[in-house]
Amino acid sequence: MEEEISRRNFLRGVGASAVAGALAKAAAAAQSVESLDDQKPVGPEPEKLVLRVNGSKYEVEVEPRVTLLDVLRNRLQLTGAKEVCDRATCGACTVLLNGQPVYSCMKLAMEVQTQEITTIEGLGTPNNLTPIQRAFVECDAMMCGYCTPGFVMSLTALFSAKSNPTVEEIKKACSGNLCRCGTYPHIFKAAQRVAESGQSTT
Amino acid sequence: MKNFEYARARSVDGAIQLSTPGSRYLAGGIDLLGEMKEYIVSPKRVIDLKLIPDLGRIDTSSSTWKLGANVTIAEIAKSEPIRATLPGLAEAASEVGSPQIRNVATLGGNLAQHSRCWYYRHRDLHCLKRGGATCYAREGENKYHSLFSGNPCVSPVVSNLAVILAALDAKVSLRRGDKEVQLTVPELYSDAWGNPLAHNSLQPGDLIVHVEIPTPKNRSTYLQVSEKSDFDWALVSCAAAGRKTGDRWFEVSVFLGAVAPIPYRVESPLIERGELSSAAIGSISQSLASQATPLAHNGYKVPIAQALIRRALTRIVS
Amino acid sequence: MSGWPKNPHQLGKDHLRYDGPIKVRGAAKYASDMQPAGWLYGMILRSPWPAARVRAIDLRPALGIPGIRAAVTANDPPFNVRYCGEELGAVAGLSKQACLDALSAIKVEADILPFVVKEEVALRDTSPRVFENQPNAGEPREMRTGDVDGAFRSADKAVEGFFQTPVQLHHCLETHGNTIQMRSDGITCWASTQGISSVSDGLADNLGISLDKVHVISEFMGGGFGSKYGAGIEGGLAARLSKEAGGLPVRLMLTRFDEALAVGNRPSSFQKVRLGAKKDGTLVAYELESFGTAGYASGGTTAGGGGGAGFPAPYIYTVPSTRVRQTSVAINAGSARAMRAPGHPQASFGMESILDEMALALSIDPVELRIKNDPSETRRRQYRIAAERFGWNAKYHSPGSSQGPLKTGVGCAGATWGGGGQGSEAEVKINPDGSVEVRCGTQDLGTGTKTLMTIVAAELFGLEPADVSVKIGDTTLPPSGGSGGSTTAASVAPAVFDACQTALGELASASGISDPRGSNWRAAAAHLRIKPIVARGRWKEGLSGRGVGGVQMAEVEVDTETGLVRVKRIVCVQDCGLVVNRLASVSQINGGIIMGIGFALYEERILDSQTGVVLNPNFETYKLPGAADVPEIDVILQDMPERGVIGIGEPVTIPTAAAIANAVSNAAGKRVTRLPITPSHVLGLLEQPPQIR
Ligand SMILES: Cc1cc2nc3c(=O)[nH]c(=O)nc-3n(C[C@H](O)[C@H](O)[C@H](O)COP(=O)(O)OP(=O)(O)OC[C@H]3O[C@@H](n4cnc5c(N)ncnc54)[C@H](O)[C@@H]3O)c2cc1C
Ligand code: SF4
Ligand code: FES
Ligand code: FES
Repeated sequence: MEEEISRRNFLRGVGASAVAGALAKAAAAAQSVESLDDQKPVGPEPEKLVLRVNGSKYEVEVEPRVTLLDVLRNRLQLTGAKEVCDRATCGACTVLLNGQPVYSCMKLAMEVQTQEITTIEGLGTPNNLTPIQRAFVECDAMMCGYCTPGFVMSLTALFSAKSNPTVEEIKKACSGNLCRCGTYPHIFKAAQRVAESGQSTT
Repeated sequence: MKNFEYARARSVDGAIQLSTPGSRYLAGGIDLLGEMKEYIVSPKRVIDLKLIPDLGRIDTSSSTWKLGANVTIAEIAKSEPIRATLPGLAEAASEVGSPQIRNVATLGGNLAQHSRCWYYRHRDLHCLKRGGATCYAREGENKYHSLFSGNPCVSPVVSNLAVILAALDAKVSLRRGDKEVQLTVPELYSDAWGNPLAHNSLQPGDLIVHVEIPTPKNRSTYLQVSEKSDFDWALVSCAAAGRKTGDRWFEVSVFLGAVAPIPYRVESPLIERGELSSAAIGSISQSLASQATPLAHNGYKVPIAQALIRRALTRIVS
Repeated sequence: MSGWPKNPHQLGKDHLRYDGPIKVRGAAKYASDMQPAGWLYGMILRSPWPAARVRAIDLRPALGIPGIRAAVTANDPPFNVRYCGEELGAVAGLSKQACLDALSAIKVEADILPFVVKEEVALRDTSPRVFENQPNAGEPREMRTGDVDGAFRSADKAVEGFFQTPVQLHHCLETHGNTIQMRSDGITCWASTQGISSVSDGLADNLGISLDKVHVISEFMGGGFGSKYGAGIEGGLAARLSKEAGGLPVRLMLTRFDEALAVGNRPSSFQKVRLGAKKDGTLVAYELESFGTAGYASGGTTAGGGGGAGFPAPYIYTVPSTRVRQTSVAINAGSARAMRAPGHPQASFGMESILDEMALALSIDPVELRIKNDPSETRRRQYRIAAERFGWNAKYHSPGSSQGPLKTGVGCAGATWGGGGQGSEAEVKINPDGSVEVRCGTQDLGTGTKTLMTIVAAELFGLEPADVSVKIGDTTLPPSGGSGGSTTAASVAPAVFDACQTALGELASASGISDPRGSNWRAAAAHLRIKPIVARGRWKEGLSGRGVGGVQMAEVEVDTETGLVRVKRIVCVQDCGLVVNRLASVSQINGGIIMGIGFALYEERILDSQTGVVLNPNFETYKLPGAADVPEIDVILQDMPERGVIGIGEPVTIPTAAAIANAVSNAAGKRVTRLPITPSHVLGLLEQPPQIR
């Protein structure tokens, strides 16, 4: 196994705080928007832009039609977010934009400059998974694993807004994510485990 | 998706200035990028509206509330004042798409979204609405299509918000060039009733600025039936709203969605008179059957619409 | 009789997934994530016509698009295309955007031909033919036993029905495709596949190179469900693009749109069924006339997972006199492929539906009628267990009799599946520091094959699964078969067992410690000094079994005013031989049931008669079950360790739709006659007042 999973670590993870951090940075980002050029159209030629992903800045040069998902996966090698439908229906491409889950296949990279983007790569480290990641491992909440990053992102956002959601709220939070392997019952279990532990720490 | 020029509008005037014959506005992008990915539209210029100040505001300071065009559907669904005063609007918003869609999709974009007909949305087809010669749905696979239409296209309006905002007598404020124009929700869609090429009554360059909702209607609700339990389009939706004072009902209105190119007003003298006894509700819902003209595969929408009318009215009454 | 330990300390427990931690961090690299140096994006141009004669394809405009490095045609014109989505050509370039522009630029000249996409229309002599020189309807498959007409005459009751199932799509979340690098010295392929060895065979064959020059890797793959053997046409195209681009790697993954057209599906079925029985419920006569489509290649040897649109009939039941006639009809649509228990869900829906009609006609409880006629002792027992857990006796009521517009109903169905192991090999390496690595050229579809290997090794060595590392998904490893037919666990576990047994013997003699397991492990291994033990093993008899039975019961709620069906609860009793990893087994069963719910209520490929296109090549209108559609699922694993390891991926998806359809019929008081059971279908059934029986 890649790492040791203990109950104590499980309760201590970093996911929620990472998201809270993202929210705080979003406010700062809103100000720096002013520095973007006023109304001047760019493109269709590739244009330089700066993206803030997982706390780092990346400069890329892309045409206006390039989506955030394309940039993450194919320019920045952040392949955790998957391209499954490319049409806002599956959730495999979910990332957090200023702390909120969004489909990165339906965002142009141009649109999200200066905003705080969090991908699955920004959540846990091998030795310090977030509570949700840990619960996914402990409850066997994945099969092929292709949908898993998307579900983790959706639930990370849920738990940063609410520490003890109900099962109904968990299902609602996951309603924009599909799992063809049908892992849902274990995903619910994992989320409930986090919800219970959340209660026990507050 | 074809390439385009991208511009950020910094004000309503700026957006209007940026607007050119081949341009389109971009809000949440859920609808526009979908159309562009299928090559249904290929704008020369895309004008991002999201940085226009004030368009993201919910203003409840007077009795007519003002919701900016950029307010997201998630914000509508979660807004405490809306949930308390206009519950039907919050309900309709919370059933739009998925959390990821609601987080970015906007009020303006939801109202201005284009047809979801699967012929229209198919990359390789060119139906009447896309400037082709025929409506494939009329003689083809039409289980999701309209029961009522004033033109050969039978693609229904699918915006959840349109249906409830119609019932709430909302008005949509636009910028049309230099002019400010206000349309009722039925007016916002009336062109789509008669013109197969129209999705709504907006003209190129028209910019939705905000939506005004009067709040005297103290009861409202929104219900829909879909095939799946969540994250699915309504087969039929129904919104009902009215003002209850003591035991009496005023200004009751009931609209159906996904059954016509416009939010479809359920008309009945009983509704006009505010008679909402359970017998009256039964006969209001009953009367719908005689008006509908179902296609080969969408007749089942009639009983669903009837059930939703009954349930929506029963819900605002109780 | 099985060679497995009698009192295992690892087998049958809940084990965490070996690759869970890497998957939850998004760090697992799938074929679609591969970006070897210099990689190019690849895309396929597909036919927008359901039938056409392609006269010429001009690739030059595509090659003129900035960033495009290669373009190829799928065939040399002239050639025919027989469905919307058939491959015309492919391009590779520096970005997706360049590829999209290049695809639009390719000029194709074609004569459009008449086509047919509806099964019942394709059967008519006057309809256009998919292949000019052969009728659309293949030779019917006919089977007879006994004197059917006589048996129907002697029956006390006969019931009949007409049942339809739609074409279902696999829709694995990772689309089909590969990242392929073709150089003069050989080819490397990162594949999303259920069979690395069939990918290498296919590529060697397709490209005319020797097998030892093909290296296939698939460490992670995002779902297959029967549709991902071989490198596919897309693999061949990617290899040719790579060659043409001077050996740069090409990543060519299909789009979701492509997935709905060209990479397999479950064939449709239209079943006219008649069943005769004695008063006491004994089945005496059965007749089936069915047709269905496996796409344009209906009747071809691989269509539908072998044999087109046929399916076993009268499924799991033995009826003394039967007459079966099944026809596969070709239409202008993509070909079928094996899909999770090919043929069985269709068979189960028709048979279990007509059986419930018979139960009503004879006033016999549906469960009792099954127990009376099911030849499997295992399933008969399972029905009792399920009925008890489900509360069948209290819940079953006469059709349509629950009060109010919201009606509840219950239904049941049974299933069988073969599975079984086959000749896999495996290798285990014991290092002097005591670390253990197990290797096998198999692949993990999400079923937990890697985890299973660690559990088996840990069991034999007296270690914890976490002490064992695993290598799979590489053709340089000991060969194993493809992962299909629920055979992987039953093939791989015995091979690992065998390798570990041999290694254990060698360790004992090398260390002089007679039982090197458990607490002796490190000390024993230390004796190896610098020379690790490497032992091979292969699958052998006695450790795996085949043939499982399972039954499911469903409880539903039907809103008779809106036609909406909600599944409230599924109880599943499944025989699974020796359970290796309980947690993963239960999850896989949940998944099979959820896919069955999709088949029952939501999923259907819809073709348009006027244009021949698939109208729902997306998840917006091809509807997969989501979180809110999942009911309470109660899985009872019936351990039979004496039978050895048996796969369960397929059997569990079979009876779900039939059980749900029976439950909806029970609730509504009307027989469900087609899947998916949408509001439209339910309201159609209810148009007439409920039948009184
Ligand atoms: C899978 C899926 C499921 C969905 N389910 C539902 C559902 O159940 N109910 C429902 O109601 N909707 C549903 N939708 C539609 C979705 O809600 C709309 O696409 C979304 O609300 C559009 O808003 P947007 O801000 O993303 O608009 P955009 O895509 O940015 O714009 C949509 C259109 O409006 C124009 N536009 C945007 N803003 C303005 C403005 N201020 N003035 C004038 N024109 C403007 C754009 O040019 C474009 O033509 C679904 C969509 C998808 C993809
Ligand atoms: S209903 Fe309208 S959008 Fe659909 S095929 Fe007909 S014309 Fe086109
Ligand atoms: S890939 Fe973005 S929602 Fe499916
Ligand atoms: S685990 Fe395979 S799609 Fe969810």
